[in-house]
Amino acid sequence: MTVEAVPETFKGFGVDVPENWNKPKLVEYQRKKINPKDVVIKNICCGLCGSDILTLKSSWGEFGRNDQVVGHEIIGHVIAVGEEVTEYKIGDRVGIGAYSSSCSDCSRCKSDNEQYCTQGVGTYNGVDPKADGYKTQGGYSSHSIAHEQFVFPIPEALSSSDAAPLMCAGLTVFSPLVRNIGYNAEGKTVGIIGIGGLGHLALQYANALGAKVVAFSRSSSKKEQALKLGAHEFIATGEDKDWTSKYADTFDFILNCASGIDGINLSDYLSTLKVQQKFVSVGLPPVKDTFEISPFSFLHHGSAFGSSLLGSKKEALEMLKISAEKGIKPLVEEIPISEAGCNEALTRCDKGDVRYRFVFTDFDKAFA
Amino acid sequence: MSATKVPEQFSGFAADSPETWDHPKLVKYAPKKLLPVDITIQIQACGVCGSDCHTIKGNWGPYNRPDLVVGHEIIGKVIEVGSQVTKHKVGDIVGVGAQANSCGECSRCKSNNEQYCQKGGVFTYNAPDPKADNYITQGGYASHVRLNQHFAAAIPKNLDIHDAAPLLCGGLTVYSPIVRNAGHDLTGKTIGIVGIGGLGAMALQISKALGAKKVYAFSRTNSKEKDAKALGADELIATKDNANWVAEHLDEFDLILNCANSGKGANLDPYLQVLKLTGVFANVSAPPADEKLEITPFPMILNGSTIKSSAIGSMKEADEVLKLYADKGLKPWIEKVAVSEDGVSEVLSRIDKGDVKYRFVLSDFEKFFN
Repeated sequence: MTVEAVPETFKGFGVDVPENWNKPKLVEYQRKKINPKDVVIKNICCGLCGSDILTLKSSWGEFGRNDQVVGHEIIGHVIAVGEEVTEYKIGDRVGIGAYSSSCSDCSRCKSDNEQYCTQGVGTYNGVDPKADGYKTQGGYSSHSIAHEQFVFPIPEALSSSDAAPLMCAGLTVFSPLVRNIGYNAEGKTVGIIGIGGLGHLALQYANALGAKVVAFSRSSSKKEQALKLGAHEFIATGEDKDWTSKYADTFDFILNCASGIDGINLSDYLSTLKVQQKFVSVGLPPVKDTFEISPFSFLHHGSAFGSSLLGSKKEALEMLKISAEKGIKPLVEEIPISEAGCNEALTRCDKGDVRYRFVFTDFDKAFA
Repeated sequence: MSATKVPEQFSGFAADSPETWDHPKLVKYAPKKLLPVDITIQIQACGVCGSDCHTIKGNWGPYNRPDLVVGHEIIGKVIEVGSQVTKHKVGDIVGVGAQANSCGECSRCKSNNEQYCQKGGVFTYNAPDPKADNYITQGGYASHVRLNQHFAAAIPKNLDIHDAAPLLCGGLTVYSPIVRNAGHDLTGKTIGIVGIGGLGAMALQISKALGAKKVYAFSRTNSKEKDAKALGADELIATKDNANWVAEHLDEFDLILNCANSGKGANLDPYLQVLKLTGVFANVSAPPADEKLEITPFPMILNGSTIKSSAIGSMKEADEVLKLYADKGLKPWIEKVAVSEDGVSEVLSRIDKGDVKYRFVLSDFEKFFN
C-alpha cells in the first residue's frame, strides 16, 4: 500500500455560497484521511446529478463548507488502497456514487442495505465521523476517497462516460425496480414518470427486467425517444386529459423519476395502480414542495406511497452486469470540466436542457 | 319454521340535515326492493362507528337522502331470503359492516378485494345502489336492513351479539391491514398502534391475539396506559411527553397502524422513522373530505419506508376476525346503550367527543321496535 502516491491536497471546482451555485471556482483543499478500508482514486470523469444542483442551491439545506465540491457519479482509477482493502488493487477502474462510507456494523449494513445506514456519509456535503468530522468533497475534482463497500468495479464493456451516471442515477432507479417487481418482471406493468436523467435509465432497466413499460411525461416531445429507450407505451399527461380511464387497475408499480411536483396529479396515478400496490418517488423535489392528495384517493385502492434511497452494492453489481450484457447506456453529453464547463452544465441542467445526463470529462487537463 | 313478518316499511332513527345530526328522529321509510340474492335482517344490535358521526355531521359530503339512517356494525336475525340465496337461511344470526354491495364481477371482487371494487362499492348507508335502481342505502340504527347476502357474515354461535357488532366495521378495518401487511401469524413481529380509541382498542387485542412479539400503543399522553396494557399492549409510548422516543425505537417496527382520528397537521414523520426497512405505516383513518393530505418523499427516504392506506376489509377477513374473537374468547370493550331517540342522541354526542371506552353498541332493538 502506498499512500505516498496520494497528494495531501486535492483540487476541484467548488462553490462558496448558494448565490454562486452555478459558478464553481477552481479550489484546492485538504483531503480526508485514508482509513484502512478506503480506496483512493484519480478521477477520470463525473456525471452531473440533479442532487448537485439542489445541494448547491441549498434547496435541501445549507451546504457545509465554503468551497463545496459536489459530484457523485465518479469514475476513476485506483491509485492507493488502505491496508484492509481486499477487493481492489492499484490500476482498477472503479466508480463511486452518492455515499462514501457507513458504520459497517448495524443490521442494515450487514444485510445489503448499507445505503440505509443511519450513519451513512454522503460523498459530498457529508460529515465523516471516521475521519474526524471531515466535510466530504465530491467528484468535480482530481481525486476521490471512499470506503470499499461504496466503490464499484466497472465492467470493461462500459466506457467511463457511460458508467458514470449509473453510479447514482442508474442505481437509484434500479434498486426500487428490482425490490418491487423483481429481477424477472414478466407479466408486470410498470409506469415511469419523468423522462430525464433518472427516467431515461429507468425505462431501459424496467424493459430489461421483462416488464411492460409505460412512460409518462407532460408533453409528447420525448415520445419517440422514450419508445426507443424501452417504453412500450407513452402517455402525455398534459395532452391526454382522459388517460386514467384507459388505465384502471393496470400498474403493478409506478416509479416517479421527476424532479419536481409540477403537473403530477398523484390521485390520477394511484387510481391506475392495481389494488394495494406502490407508488415510489425517487424524484426528490425541494423540501418545501409536497404532493397534495385526498386521503380518499389512497383509500379507494389501498395504495402505498414510498421512497427509496440509492441502492446496495449488491444491486450496483447486478446493475452493472445487466448494463454490460444488454447494452444499457445513459444518453450522455460530455463537457470538459472547467469553470466555464461547470457553469454551462449546471445552468442548462437546472433548466432541463440536457438529453439526458451531463458527464464532465478531460480531468487530466483541468487538474494538471 | 316460525316466519317473522317482513314489514313493508322499515323504521329507523334518521337525521334530515347536518344541523340536526345529534338528535335523529324515528321515521319510517320504504326499504330497498328484495333481489334474488338479498336477505332481510331484523336488527338486534348495532355498534356505533366514528364514520356514523362523520357522515351524519356532513363531514364526508352531503346527505343523499333527507331521512338518513346511519349505523354499520349491525347484528340481526335473517327473516327473509331471496330466491337465489345460499349463504344464509331464515333464523341465522348475521352481521353487516360498512359495505352493502359491489359489482361482483371485476378482478378485485373476484379476488377477495371486494372492498376495493373497481366500480366503487356501495356503502351500507348514504350510497346509491346501482343494482337497486340507485336506492340510497339506509343503515342499522333501524328495525331492519336488507342487502346482498354476500355482505352479511355469519356470527359464530359462541360470540355474544353485542361483542360481535364492533367487529363488523371497526374490527375488520384494523384486522385487514394487520394481516395484509404483517401476516396472519405475527410471531417475531413488532406492531405499533397509534390512537387508542374505537379502532385502536381492537387493534391491540388483535395484534396480541395473532401472536405479535411486542405490541406498542402510541398515545399523546399516558392517560390510557392501564387500558392499553389490559387490551394487549406491552408498552405505551406517550409521544408528547417523551421527546426521545424516536431515537429509542429506530428500526423496531414491522407495522405501525394509524387508528387515530387524524386531525389537521398530524405529523407522521416520527412513525416513518422507526419502521424497519421492510416496515409499513398503514393508515385507516379517514378525515373530513375537504382535508388534503400533504405527502413528501423525504421522511421515507431514510429507510425506504411506505405509507399505505387500507379501507375496511374483505368478507373473507370479516369471517376471520369473527372467528378469532370467538376462538380466543376475546371481547371488544363496549358500552351498551338501549336504542331509542335519546339513546341514539347520547351515543352520537359522546362519540363525537371521544367519550367512550371504547365502542358503543346500541342494544335492545327487539324490545324497542316491537
